[in-house]
Amino acid sequence: MATQTMTAAPPARPRDVAERAVRTVAPLVDIYEGEKAFVLLADMPGVAPGGLDVVAERDTLVIRGRVERPATAPDYQEFELADYYRAFTLTEDLDTGATSATLRDGVLRIEISKSPRVQPKKIAVRTE
Amino acid sequence: METQWGSNPWREMRRLQREMEHLFNDFSPTWRWPLTGEYPPINLTRDDKGITLEALCPGVDRASLDVSVVGDAVTIRGERKAEPDVAEERYHRRERPIGAFTRTVSVGEPLDQDRTQATYTSGILRMQLTRAPEATPKKIQIQS
Repeated sequence: MATQTMTAAPPARPRDVAERAVRTVAPLVDIYEGEKAFVLLADMPGVAPGGLDVVAERDTLVIRGRVERPATAPDYQEFELADYYRAFTLTEDLDTGATSATLRDGVLRIEISKSPRVQPKKIAVRTE
Repeated sequence: METQWGSNPWREMRRLQREMEHLFNDFSPTWRWPLTGEYPPINLTRDDKGITLEALCPGVDRASLDVSVVGDAVTIRGERKAEPDVAEERYHRRERPIGAFTRTVSVGEPLDQDRTQATYTSGILRMQLTRAPEATPKKIQIQS
C-alpha cells in the first residue's frame, strides 16, 4: 500500500509508510443485482472523498481508501482506523464504462451497468 | 450495558488482539467487536478541555441518529437500514450488518448536558463532551 498513487497527498514521513504497510483491511461489502446494474456497497468509515480510489480495469474492480489517523492515540480504544483495499473480479456481462461511485457517511456505493445484451428487454405482445 | 474505563486491562487485551490479527492476515474489519461485543465501537480521549468520544458507525440513517447525555452516561442510538426494495435473493454477497442499535457508555465524570456537541462525518460520530462544573478541577488557595 505504501506505493499506491494518491493525488494531492502530502509526502508521507517514513514512519507513516511503515505503519501503512501494516494496517490495511478489507472492507465489508454487500453486492446485489438490480434490473440494469450491479450495486456494491462497502463500509469504509474514516475515508474522505479525497482518500478514495476506485479503478475498474478490464475484469478487475479495485477499491482503495486512505484514512486520516489521529496524531495521538486515544486514552481508551476499541477501534483503530486502517486503510482499505479490496479487489473484485468482474464478469464480461458488465459494462465498466458505465460505472458510478458515491461516498456518503463512510459507505462507498458503486453501480456498474450490465451490458446491454444481458439487460432485460421488454417484448411487446400484439394481440391479433 | 455500561462500561467503566480502566486502562491497563484494555492495553493487554489490545496487545493480544494485535497478535490475533496477524494470525488472520489482516482480513479482519477495522473494528473490534469480539472484545466488547457492543456496537458501535468507541474511542475516548480526555484532555483539559473535555472528553472526545468517537463512535465508528458508517451508513447510519441520519434521521435515526440520536445522542443523549445524562449524568456521566452517553447514549448513542441509530439504525443501519437495508437498501429499500431489494429482495433477499438478489444479493450475491451480504457482509454488512444492519439493524437498530443502542449503546450507553459511562465516562466516569459528570457531564454538562447543555455543552455537548456532535458531528457525523465519514461514518464517524464525534462527540465533544464537557465536564460539569462540579467535575472541573478548581485551584485551592493555600492559606498560610
